[in-house]
Amino acid sequence: MDKSKRYDRGIRVWGAHGQEALEAARVCLLNAGPTGTEALKNLVLGGIHSFTIVDGAKVTPADLGNNFLLTADALAGSRAQCATECLKELNESVAGSYVEEAPRSLMNSNPDFFRQFTLVIATQLSETDATNLDVICRQHGVRLLLLRSYGLVGYLRPSMPEHRVIESKPDSKVDDLRLANPWPELAAYVESLDLATAEDHVHSHIPYAVLLAQAAKQWQQEHGGALPSSTPERAAFKELLKSWQRNIDGIPLEEENFTEAVSNAHKVWAPPSVPSELRAILADPAADTITAKSPDYWVLVAALKRFIEQEGQGQLPLEGSIPDMHASTQQYLELQRVYRARADADAAAVEAHARSLLEAAGRDPNSISTSDVKHFCKHARYLRLVRWRSLAEETEASSCRGEALRSALAAEDTADNAALYVLLRAADRFYETYQRYPGAYDSEVAEDAALLKSQANALLAECGAAGAVVSDDLVGEVCRCAAGELHVVAAVVGAIAAQEAIKLITCQYTPVGGTLIYNAMASTTSVFAF
Amino acid sequence: MELEGRWRDLDYLLTRQGNVVGPGFEPGQEIREFLQDGCRVLVVGAGGLGCELLKDLALSGFGNIDVIDMDTIDVSNLNRQFLFRMGDVGKSKAEVASARIMERIPGVTEKPLDFYEQFHVIVLGLDSLEARRYMNSVACSFLEYDEDGQPDLSTVKPMVDGGTEGFKGHARVLIPGVTPCFECTLWLFPPQTKFPLCTLAETPRSPAHCIEYAKIILWPKERPDDTFDADCEEHMKWVYSKALARAAEFGIQGVTYQLTQGVVKNIIPAIASTNAIVAAQCTLEALKMVTMCSTGLNNYMMYVGTDGVYTLTTPYERDDKCPICSPGVSYAVQPTTTLRQLIDGLMEDPDLGKHLSAPSVSYGSTNLYMRGALEAQTRANLDKPISELVDTSDNVVLHINDKRLVSAMKIRLKFGGSNGSMET
Amino acid sequence: MIKLFSVKEKQKKDAAAAANGKAVKQSAGELRLQKDISELDLPKNVSIRFPDGQDKIMNFEITLKPDEGLYKGGAFLFTFAVPSGYPHDPPKVKCLTKVYHPNIDLEGNICLNILREDWKPVLTITAVVYGLNFLFLAPNPDDPLNKEAAQMMQQSPAQFERLVSQSITRGCAIGGDYFPPARGERSG
Repeated sequence: MDKSKRYDRGIRVWGAHGQEALEAARVCLLNAGPTGTEALKNLVLGGIHSFTIVDGAKVTPADLGNNFLLTADALAGSRAQCATECLKELNESVAGSYVEEAPRSLMNSNPDFFRQFTLVIATQLSETDATNLDVICRQHGVRLLLLRSYGLVGYLRPSMPEHRVIESKPDSKVDDLRLANPWPELAAYVESLDLATAEDHVHSHIPYAVLLAQAAKQWQQEHGGALPSSTPERAAFKELLKSWQRNIDGIPLEEENFTEAVSNAHKVWAPPSVPSELRAILADPAADTITAKSPDYWVLVAALKRFIEQEGQGQLPLEGSIPDMHASTQQYLELQRVYRARADADAAAVEAHARSLLEAAGRDPNSISTSDVKHFCKHARYLRLVRWRSLAEETEASSCRGEALRSALAAEDTADNAALYVLLRAADRFYETYQRYPGAYDSEVAEDAALLKSQANALLAECGAAGAVVSDDLVGEVCRCAAGELHVVAAVVGAIAAQEAIKLITCQYTPVGGTLIYNAMASTTSVFAF
Repeated sequence: MELEGRWRDLDYLLTRQGNVVGPGFEPGQEIREFLQDGCRVLVVGAGGLGCELLKDLALSGFGNIDVIDMDTIDVSNLNRQFLFRMGDVGKSKAEVASARIMERIPGVTEKPLDFYEQFHVIVLGLDSLEARRYMNSVACSFLEYDEDGQPDLSTVKPMVDGGTEGFKGHARVLIPGVTPCFECTLWLFPPQTKFPLCTLAETPRSPAHCIEYAKIILWPKERPDDTFDADCEEHMKWVYSKALARAAEFGIQGVTYQLTQGVVKNIIPAIASTNAIVAAQCTLEALKMVTMCSTGLNNYMMYVGTDGVYTLTTPYERDDKCPICSPGVSYAVQPTTTLRQLIDGLMEDPDLGKHLSAPSVSYGSTNLYMRGALEAQTRANLDKPISELVDTSDNVVLHINDKRLVSAMKIRLKFGGSNGSMET
Repeated sequence: MIKLFSVKEKQKKDAAAAANGKAVKQSAGELRLQKDISELDLPKNVSIRFPDGQDKIMNFEITLKPDEGLYKGGAFLFTFAVPSGYPHDPPKVKCLTKVYHPNIDLEGNICLNILREDWKPVLTITAVVYGLNFLFLAPNPDDPLNKEAAQMMQQSPAQFERLVSQSITRGCAIGGDYFPPARGERSG
């Protein structure tokens, strides 16, 4: 089978290197309920290397009402086995195996079991089990995704100490053109195009970047080096550009390149700044102490930092690509080469810093390839870093962020979803106390609501958010669904998890930086960093 | 025979009263029975969204699901369209998809059908605006309004729509007469970017320019007798090799076969996870709409998974002048009234007249009287009675065009009574 | 949210829907095109024809006879194919009369911004017709589709003018391509 054809659409999103990362990923699923099998289904279709399902339960009639990856002929048989077989059918190049054991028992008996995986997806665990698993996964450096579908509520929480992203692939990118402060080669190229003597068809095909750089130079010469800063000055700058247009009897010819120059004039006085996320990464202590154990990402961030301070004079390495502009092929490609050459030179300077950092740390100075450095420099402006608190830190009374919880419960746009977060945790406590989830019996739904409410209030008090309000309507809804796993809610949560898993495995795009609550009643989501 | 306990989790939702539910929610076993036996759902499209929708609907208790799709299965569908296997390549999507669902969830009957009237809800798993606009016209063509301009609920054909692109997607609920239809919010769909032909011909700067040149300019010139077929590998390879040659001529880098396909077919990459999010959200809304078991989406949800997870739920507004879903105006005429008398009547009408200066009248595709280019051809209709021009046994909707109107005005003819506008 | 179905009193809806049973009469694109056509305001030198009759308006032809400029005396036939996605998608326009023009190639492709990169749904058929008319009054050699014609226009305007005039009135060969007289017909 031609894999590039089968995975064509995915490759268009995450590239061949992203697909390679997926095809190397070994994923472990805890509990083969619909939330888990749906998450795995999407990853198997995407082409991961293999999966292993850990589940000790047998297939029940209720499973057949909410799980597409379990079949009626397996009733009373192993849930792990049946799900594994159904999932393997979806993609013959993905290997699947299973362990018929309850996740809790496996965690206790063989915590090293989890070491072999790229990612563990744990579904429908109690807070206690989840907290224990988090400790195990962090010990082994394994990425963890915790999922839960509970009636009309969904929960997703990635957990690992830190996740480093080079290709965050932002929706909108800024153009770094250096029009007001061109480096010598760009300045020389800009100079070489003489507007006054150019023939008409050449004149109308000079790229707008060149027009803007020429106008910036003239403006700076006439204004003591300053750029247009006020509204009237900026208008005057645009008039300067327009005055260079060719005309017949005073009527300017329609020259598309000039139209583009005027509408892009802001690129002269408002060049892109260093985004706040990148500033925080550069200021991170991890970039200050490079050791033999530092991940390549941090070595390169340290090298980037040196570049900015030294060769870059405060600027990032040039990305090297330029936007399309109305221009002749020749001039556009010439301009593109000038930018690319500079980007290569900047990357080489970053590489030199990286080499000396590696050497100083006692690593092979060539252990990061030139193409990796170039790749890093191309994406440097949009670097991302995500760190998650451990589940223990989030939940323990001594370290939980009660104030953040209190304000989320008080703010109109987050109150309901923060309440659902509290109620999911309260439902676990309810279970620990009564050995059943609230609403398990039709006759006790109302009584359970009162008990759940008092569990929620106790939890709030422990977290230092006493007095914060959780709506009675939502308490009632959580009891109404009695921890049922609705297929559609499971499908949403499982699919969001598959997206997050792909982000974590490919190190592309930015994963959720906290706890995601999906509210299927209101069709909303919130992300909380408690 | 239904397995005892199969629908336990769904039954919590459908048989227990809730605090956050839709108007008139009546919990009970009857709802599940209605989903299973009474309610008919049509899924349009058995692609990436369609496969997910079929599974989600079947596992949400819907027992009568029909699916239509004209497409056959391609290898590149297998990364997301999980009801299909390698051995299905080339077969009909609708047939394979319905067979696979029936295999898994007994009691669900699915067969390819082409009648829209019989369905309670239509769920769209489409990838083009054109197909959405078509289904929109279908759904809105059933819509009738009462004398007060309120939609007659028995004629409302609700739709749920989903769409995805990479890590982003949307789900929306379209209740004609109540929430905006596709035509009301056409602006939500950005036009496709097109390069100027002269750039392609003379000043190509990017690989895409070279590919478009090969497809748009070279193909008709060098293969005038072949109709280009994007699904034909030989055709695609021809475009690729020509684009490659052109790129080499101009010193442009980056033309690949993959990019050629992407540009020529305008591929919007679809992945399993995003399809699954959107389809499940759409199914949830279909379930809420039919059962009132929870509050419904009003009326658009956007999902962006590129930078963390961001969703936005927005109530878009209807365009009260929408030529497709707006109530229009009831207007009483006699079958013997001539078209000229009708037009004069409209012009003199105290409410309608002020919007009209030189109206033209169409009846579906039939142009009864057109100013401008078709005036001479349609003039003879002016003195004919209405009964000769339209099918008076049908519900007659005329479209009035006029420079003073932003879009066509709908006139619903009522025969009998005295001529005139019936709106209060 | 609005309650559409009453589960308990079964479905009265089936009857209503069945009685209604009508087909979709037209696409939304056609509905919009009717408005354009009813308001079509053609310059004197332009005529329109609907070869499939007055009720099939998605395909039509216009004939343009420039009344001034270099192309005066010629007649040029264009086909318009309006897609059902109109006005989200622009009409597809081709020039069927072979013409020596910097912005129209020998296959009849036309480089007019509002037909591609600058198309907007608020534009109309009238706007396109005016755009075509303008193209014959003011050919633009700067962004050509027929490069030879553009170069000739820029480098030897007098010769260009002669060739245009000769080709449209009597027909002539220019660089190996024969241009029949421009009488508003399909060439070649």
